[in-house]
Amino acid sequence: MERDQVGRFEAIVLPHLDAAYTLARYLTRNEDDAREVVQDAYLRALKYFDGFHGAEASEGRSWLMAIVRNTAFTRRRRHRLDATTTEFDEELHSDSIAESHPEAELLGAAARESLHQALDRLPLEFREVIVLRELEGMSYKEIGEVAGVPVGTVMSRLSRARHRLQQALWAEQKGG
Amino acid sequence: MTHEEMRLQVDAYLDGELAPRDARELETHLKDCQECARMREARLVLGTAIRREVPEFRAPEELRARVRESLRSAAGVNPKPARAAVPSWRWMALAAGIALVAVGGWGLGAHRAADAALRDQVLASHVRSLMPGHLTDVVSSDQHTVKPWFNGKLDFSPPVNDFTGKGYPLIGGRLDYVGGRPVAALVYQRRQHLINVFLWPSTGGAVGERTSITRQGYHLLHSTTPEYVYWVVSDLGTAELSEFARLLQHAGSASSSP
Repeated sequence: MERDQVGRFEAIVLPHLDAAYTLARYLTRNEDDAREVVQDAYLRALKYFDGFHGAEASEGRSWLMAIVRNTAFTRRRRHRLDATTTEFDEELHSDSIAESHPEAELLGAAARESLHQALDRLPLEFREVIVLRELEGMSYKEIGEVAGVPVGTVMSRLSRARHRLQQALWAEQKGG
Repeated sequence: MTHEEMRLQVDAYLDGELAPRDARELETHLKDCQECARMREARLVLGTAIRREVPEFRAPEELRARVRESLRSAAGVNPKPARAAVPSWRWMALAAGIALVAVGGWGLGAHRAADAALRDQVLASHVRSLMPGHLTDVVSSDQHTVKPWFNGKLDFSPPVNDFTGKGYPLIGGRLDYVGGRPVAALVYQRRQHLINVFLWPSTGGAVGERTSITRQGYHLLHSTTPEYVYWVVSDLGTAELSEFARLLQHAGSASSSP
């Protein structure tokens, strides 16, 4: 790889490692798989970087995230990882970036768990739009580029995903 | 429009993805349609819950090292750490730390114990309001609906303004308790963010005092005018929140009538 290409990679692809790992974690719902997906994705990114001509960090993010999601989707097809439903596990989410502030916790433990479970139960295509929009703050256009679907599809997937999460949350609040 | 289409529109609106003309049309509709107004409220609450409760992850060090290694071998550099790579990685780790730091705005003030207690109460009220179903007692983008709603519930008539035209639509209001007294809580929206405004008449304390605090990812702005004590709380960025606070204060002093 040429020297200036390395510099460009460092500037616009490398900084999105945490974002890539976060997406992979939610898609695979598993720490080890997420690690492997991200590693594979970066290898592919390096391999095909010459064919990518973006110059902005945001372009680099969409490009990398598309590779991450494709790697995760391919892997799932191969391994059928999604066949088992993982329960939300406190341990699993213990390396999150957010600091814990018990006094400012929005939801009780039960509500939080039902939100996480609802998220885990979403079809992969729904889960990914939630992560890309709510955690990464991507535009519909960017999400469309990552998922390889038109903006209209992004819009309806996002709305339906939110509707399911909201129902889960409200059911929990009303139930107790 | 079906419910599903309605939801689609409101979601796209909150995400800032509607064309300006469609957004204005929807805002008009939200003023008239309670059902859609409630849906907007529920979505704002959900969005806040997701942003706070669904964590981002930091890539493990081992993964970081491996990716760095892959880049080095792709670059044809020998295993000795490339000088430039180390600082840039460190920098990235820092950037990814996502530290929320209070900047500018209303300036940092001295925190007396009483202020600290009040601040904690305001923050607690804000957090409580974000639980599903707790945000508003009266849902309306119409200031002429929200303002009279407080009649008989408070010993003052709070200034209520809708800033839809400025990008901060009024969502509604509720009665709240802060510092041992009933206060007006007004709820505003900025894109997908919720803003709570707590206000009550000032009692001749230090007027013009302005503070800006960041606690647990929420920004709190506090100011005192000759008429009112204001607390503004949100997870919105400080720059926009300060802009909103200025709008609020300007409108409050322009329309103040006991």
